[in-house]
Amino acid sequence: MCFLWLVNSMRNRVVITGAGVVSSLGDSSSSLQLSLCSGRRAVKPVELFSTAGLGCPLGGEIPCFDAQKYLGRRNLRPLDRTSRLVASAAQLALNDSGWSGSILNQEEVGLVLGTMFCSVHTISEFDRRALEVGPAYASPMDFSNTVINAAAGQTAIIHNLRGINSTISTGITSGLQAIAYATEVIRSGRARAILAGGADEMCFESFYGFDRAGLLCRSEHSAGDFPIPFDKRRNGFALGEGAALLMLEDAHFARERGAHTLAEITGHGCGYDCSQGEDEESAVNSIALSVRRAINDASAGPHEIDCLSASANGSHAGDRHEAKGVFAGLNGQTRKLPVTAIKSMLGETLGASGPMQAIALLETMRDGVLPGINGLEQVEDDFAFDMISSDNREIDLETALVNSAGFDGHCCSLVLARCNEN
Amino acid sequence: MKHSRVVVTGIGVVTPIGTGREHFWTNLLAGRSGIGPVRSFDTSAYSVHRGAEVHDFEAENYLSNLDAAHLGRASQFAIAAARLALADANVEIASLDLERAGVSMGTTSGEPREVERFDDLFVSKNLERVGPEFLALYPSHVIAAHIARELQFGGINIMIPTACAAGNYAIAHAFDVLRAGRASLMLAGGSDSFSRITYTGFAQLGAIAPEVCQPFDRCRKGMIPGEGAGVLVLEPLSSALKRGARIYAEISGYGLSCDAHHMTAAHPNGEGAVRAMKQALEQSGTAREEVGYISAHGTGTPTNDRLETLAVKRLFGDAAYRVPISSIKSMLGHTMGAASAIEAAACALAVYHDRIPPTINLREPDPECDLDYVPNHAREHTVRVAMNNAYAFGGNNASLILKKCEEPQKGTKSTNKI
Repeated sequence: MCFLWLVNSMRNRVVITGAGVVSSLGDSSSSLQLSLCSGRRAVKPVELFSTAGLGCPLGGEIPCFDAQKYLGRRNLRPLDRTSRLVASAAQLALNDSGWSGSILNQEEVGLVLGTMFCSVHTISEFDRRALEVGPAYASPMDFSNTVINAAAGQTAIIHNLRGINSTISTGITSGLQAIAYATEVIRSGRARAILAGGADEMCFESFYGFDRAGLLCRSEHSAGDFPIPFDKRRNGFALGEGAALLMLEDAHFARERGAHTLAEITGHGCGYDCSQGEDEESAVNSIALSVRRAINDASAGPHEIDCLSASANGSHAGDRHEAKGVFAGLNGQTRKLPVTAIKSMLGETLGASGPMQAIALLETMRDGVLPGINGLEQVEDDFAFDMISSDNREIDLETALVNSAGFDGHCCSLVLARCNEN
Repeated sequence: MKHSRVVVTGIGVVTPIGTGREHFWTNLLAGRSGIGPVRSFDTSAYSVHRGAEVHDFEAENYLSNLDAAHLGRASQFAIAAARLALADANVEIASLDLERAGVSMGTTSGEPREVERFDDLFVSKNLERVGPEFLALYPSHVIAAHIARELQFGGINIMIPTACAAGNYAIAHAFDVLRAGRASLMLAGGSDSFSRITYTGFAQLGAIAPEVCQPFDRCRKGMIPGEGAGVLVLEPLSSALKRGARIYAEISGYGLSCDAHHMTAAHPNGEGAVRAMKQALEQSGTAREEVGYISAHGTGTPTNDRLETLAVKRLFGDAAYRVPISSIKSMLGHTMGAASAIEAAACALAVYHDRIPPTINLREPDPECDLDYVPNHAREHTVRVAMNNAYAFGGNNASLILKKCEEPQKGTKSTNKI
């Protein structure tokens, strides 16, 4: 323990000074939390494109998303939907953390974005136009958006973010992995302020891919009954979309500039399951490893974790692996652990999912309410969770575990702690 | 806490001029070009027809656990490069702590052929023929995941798709992971396959040269899209010394910056590029005068080469005229996300062998590009420090520093020289 303390004391501490979220359930931390705690579901029949012929008609899309609302009269023509989501969330996070244009020009603020696809829709449309009418008709402007770092690049231009600019792709865990990456960059002293989080858009191409892979929920009753994380009746997830960014800063720097700190990132960890979910033991072990690494990195013990925001999205194998993996990672101390799974309401927002879970927990730290898991009635018998239900729960949240686990082997965990000095 | 020093002990490459370190290095020093007529798809509807493709690649030769039929081309390249790098480093997988063996890879397009197939079926109204393989093979993160799956690596697994500078980003991240003690061995690099989408895009930007890639030449006409993969074995110096490994070079620092200026055009005074180089030198504690080789981004487009020259001059001042600079893209074409990883491999070899690969096709000097670009012939030159520069769409700039490893080595340097 003494050695761990020594290690931690030698690196810069990383705090969250603001958050920006554009989601199907609200465009601020507080409106998101309000929606989650009132059990609102974003998952509805998809309207952005036709789902005719697909197995799942449901998704959690952002209705009438208009980036101009956040970005004013800037020229948004070169930005596709993913880039607009990210640039909007960045504006909100900059506002929330008190970064105005003038200090932004003095400081090299970075951007680390996690995304699974960036915009496969833009890529596919660019290619289809070349196929249908000839390569000479493909748009050079669209081409610049076919790279997977397009949203991070476009957002950097909009907000003059000249620091480290990186894009991370690790599937569903992309967003949480981006936060872990940025945390390390700040800890090592390489940067003082980084916007970190993730985004993915709802589009036909990725939706089609998930549907064909048989991963999406099948509603046998009325639309809106599924997905139900951790429930015996779960049969898949619903896709969602959004962008969520945290402003991460070196704690000393944040204090000096008089920033309000919302929480501290005290630990992160990850693991990779080489069986890609095919072997239960391997999948469970890698999630356990990720959780263990995160709490060790935070110099915390399993008993200090006050709640879990789970990655569970209603997928049959994935939710089981997570329940078992967290149990193993916390040395069996999960019975009294309050658990939420907000993908029951938002759907699976891929790159945005982990950062959205983190943002919702910042609100729980403030207002003491952990949202229930919408629709949950029959928890699987061998999941060792007792503090789990569809009801909201009042908790005094000091230290939280955020988990992100993909269907294809990636897992990542984050430990957030309340900053008591503020 | 004292950070670990990080060294390169294995090199694996799949390139248009050869697969495997020895083949690659021999052809690189000989100034061979890998550019020829595009074979991957029909270019008759385009005004340009040349590319730098990898021919005669047999993925099966590198696969023990996975099936080539269920892997995209970039994953196949990446696995081959990873296997070659491990063999080059003389690392037995059975001897590794697999939970601490990680993968950090970069790419521009991921597995573009998978989305191109989707598009072909969409346009021909056969979309129902798209099955579960689209999701399993397409998203970019599968490249790093497939390497790990083939090798059973359970440590950090990350994909950094920062376009044409991605290889440097991925190596820089692996360097940080090892320094912080978060892994005991990392495979780091980049991979991209030849892509219709990329070719179309660069053709539409008017950026593709009709015949040859001639960086820094007054008559240069553009870049040539390519494909390939480069993977380095990185490990802490202590572990390399302990197992008596051959050490090519030490990674001693990097710099990353963003222009925040334009998606596809570099900043007009090279501002971001200068910041990345400066940071990299500062972190590695290297004086400008110590740099013995700069591996240029050097795409061969009129603007890139002029601005890159300007940026080097802005940082190095008069010393810029004394640093040998070359662009191996003159031979390899632009292998996209793999480019800076393959170039990092070339830097490691330049540091190890004290030889600098040339910029070929450089005949007519450009008054705006008046530095020493090692024209047409490889050169013997002591390279204590190499700087690897890469620039990307999105204004992403990355500079990496590789140094001679100043430690007594038990390795077998002389017998392993080629």
